Amino acid sequence: MTDRNTDVGGIPIEEVVIEAKEALRDRSPARRGETSWTRLWDHLRREWQIYLMLLPTIIWFIVFLYKPMYGLQIAFKDYSIFRGVAGSPWVGWEHFETLFSNDQFLRAVKNTITISFYNLLFGFPAPIILALMFNEVLHATYKRTAQTIVYLPHFISSVIISGIVITAFSPTAGIVNTVLDWLGFDAVYFLTQPEWFRPIFVGTGIWQEAGFGSIVFLAAIAGVNPSLYESAVVDGANRWQMMWRITVPSILPTILIMLIIRIGNIMEVSFELVILLYQPATYETADVVNTWVYRQGLQSGQYDLAAAAGLFNAVVAFVLVMTANTLSRRFSRTSLW
Amino acid sequence: MRRLTLAAALLTGSAITTPAIADDHLRIVEEPLELTIQMNHARYPVYEEDWPVERVAREMTGIHLINDTVGANMRTDENTGRTEALNLMLASGDIPDIVGSSRIRDFVNQYGPEGAFVPLNDLIAEHAPNIAAYYAERPDIEAAVKAADGQMYYIPYLPDGKYGRAYWIRTDWLDALGLEMPQTVEEYEAVLRAFKTQDPNGNGEADEVPFFVRQWPELIRLVTLWDGRAHGSDTYHDFLVEDGKISHGYIGEGYRDGISNLARWYADGLIDAEIFTRGSSARDFLLSENLGGSTHDWFASTGGYNRLSSEIEGFRFEAFVPPASVSGKRVEEHRRILVKPDGWAIGYTNEHPVETIRYFDFFFSEEGRRLANFGVEGEHYEMVDGAPVFTQAFLDQGPVNRSLYQAGAQLQARGYYMDYAYEWQWTNEFAKAGIELYDQGDYLIPDFLGVAFTEDEQKVYDRTWGSIRDYMLERQQSWILGNGDVMADWDGYIAQLDGMGMQDLLEVMQSAYERQYGG
Repeated sequence: MTDRNTDVGGIPIEEVVIEAKEALRDRSPARRGETSWTRLWDHLRREWQIYLMLLPTIIWFIVFLYKPMYGLQIAFKDYSIFRGVAGSPWVGWEHFETLFSNDQFLRAVKNTITISFYNLLFGFPAPIILALMFNEVLHATYKRTAQTIVYLPHFISSVIISGIVITAFSPTAGIVNTVLDWLGFDAVYFLTQPEWFRPIFVGTGIWQEAGFGSIVFLAAIAGVNPSLYESAVVDGANRWQMMWRITVPSILPTILIMLIIRIGNIMEVSFELVILLYQPATYETADVVNTWVYRQGLQSGQYDLAAAAGLFNAVVAFVLVMTANTLSRRFSRTSLW
Repeated sequence: MRRLTLAAALLTGSAITTPAIADDHLRIVEEPLELTIQMNHARYPVYEEDWPVERVAREMTGIHLINDTVGANMRTDENTGRTEALNLMLASGDIPDIVGSSRIRDFVNQYGPEGAFVPLNDLIAEHAPNIAAYYAERPDIEAAVKAADGQMYYIPYLPDGKYGRAYWIRTDWLDALGLEMPQTVEEYEAVLRAFKTQDPNGNGEADEVPFFVRQWPELIRLVTLWDGRAHGSDTYHDFLVEDGKISHGYIGEGYRDGISNLARWYADGLIDAEIFTRGSSARDFLLSENLGGSTHDWFASTGGYNRLSSEIEGFRFEAFVPPASVSGKRVEEHRRILVKPDGWAIGYTNEHPVETIRYFDFFFSEEGRRLANFGVEGEHYEMVDGAPVFTQAFLDQGPVNRSLYQAGAQLQARGYYMDYAYEWQWTNEFAKAGIELYDQGDYLIPDFLGVAFTEDEQKVYDRTWGSIRDYMLERQQSWILGNGDVMADWDGYIAQLDGMGMQDLLEVMQSAYERQYGG
């Protein structure tokens, strides 16, 4: 503990002095021109360690997210790798016209949104429910073991996941059809039936990610002030009431933030898994924007068209995030920014 | 110092074993010349300057290739046509003197005219007598490698030998059920049905899988039994050419009838229920589990499964001639293609194009071709009665192709003309018997060797083909699986394809074809 001479209301005395100086500078009109710069300089000099820690992230953003934005212009160009980004001729909106006159692209957009919607509807609540359930488990060893087991699928690569899914749903040897057989149903060749693709895909996603996704919510639950539970116990609340009246409202900001992030990713269906699981027979429900781009754009080297589709994806995602963020801020005062 | 001695020992060693070096008639340059090379191939991702074949080629020609491969661990994929390593190389802005890769044709024919690769027509005419002589004999192949501007931009890898895939059947099952070898499509159906219902593997369960394939598009080739066509070349879903007209198998009436019958076969369990998802391990699994009855697959590798006879009593898997179609024609649609889209090209910054084309030409000379096919004399093969024969010690090293790759021979990212004799020497007896059987008949049909597009044609192709292919495959699988009836849906299907631009697509294919192969 610091003693009172150096501490004013929990803030080190040093900072208080600097804040006061800065406040003084602000009020002096003669120096207004350089005020903000001087303040920034002072601030940087004072907090340089923190900015140093931030630096790698900033570099990462510049190299991997901002610099590539330069290449986005190929969405409006007839791009040739040899001619380069700058040397390729402009073609205006041609690639976008190609996209939106293509029925399969429009179907892919529809499929993407539908699959994402199911993912949101069924996949988003799953880790929350799981976290709440873990929170109620009292036996420590049992809890740890169960948590490890549900985290594990997250670390398995999509290729192996798809292998497991294909085997499990196989019409001759799969466990699912074996069970159906016991119950007296006919075998179903699930992975070639368009109506089964989405349930299988969304279900696989939940199985794979619900456990790992629950970590964030468990952390939020751990941050709930224990005195709230203590006073609830004194007031005679049961566990169910404590969960609904204390835990859920306390982690609601986390839930909303995660929801906003999730909505921003609505155009990003995990397309590796789609590619591994789909067949021409299931394109009707399974083909998403990214798999379409992969087949039409990358496999045949049409990077410009692929970039146009990617840009479209990004714009839609941006609008969705903005909307979700605004709504969240208005109704719950929780928002990303 | 020690390195030097080692190098000297190697030099003298090979000088003794390869007397051809003594005379200098193959030497291209007096002073050793260094050229950089990018080489990618699915089967051997890294180029090695120390390959014995490279060492000998260096001594014979004086040209020393320096590895400059970008994306060495990236594979070019035969089936999807991905050329990521080549794209990466081009995007890096630095093209080596020589670029060798599988799937290089479309790549050089697109970027060559833009200036990334050196046009080869004049260079071949003036400096490459062996290549020129080959093309003089095979104008169709010369036409097939050209870009839309009439220039050649790469020297191809040219396969030799006629046959690729064939029909295979468990002849011991035929014997067990007292059946004859099927001669017609009706008999074939009856045999497959007997495999399904009469328990040839004798385990008391109807678990047999009468017809299976490793790559599901091979199933579609069965439409030839109803006079349809599936794939026009060894690339799946490719266009086909018949009497100078470009068409597509999937819009023919024989195809329609074939799919209708295959749907019936599928519903009756004659075709693997998991045909679309079983994948590349299908043959391995179904044969070693004593479940698979018949397939359509490569001669050499499929014949090799007869080694299972040590585990499965009486196991015999033999090739049989294509059953006669409904109109009595016997057709084997798959053949070894005449020219691969693999090979090598000269980068635009190469300062020695003449020496480079002469180096390419070296591999079309007698000595060079032998080197590219068989490896090094004394080390990998001996001359017996004027023909190269692999030494027993070399054959015993394991899979011959792998050993050859490791020696730097049979590299398909090098432009050369394969010599089928190399393969025949170690082809197993069941494959040999099958090939001899197919040789007695005339079952092969001409392949579509591909076209190069002008920029405008390319636009039409890019706009239409991807969607059309997707739609055709979607319907194809659905019909076979019993979702929809091909007979009832056919007119709507054709109308839908026309709506997607099928006719425009065929038109540009036709005009490109006529420009390239002369109508």
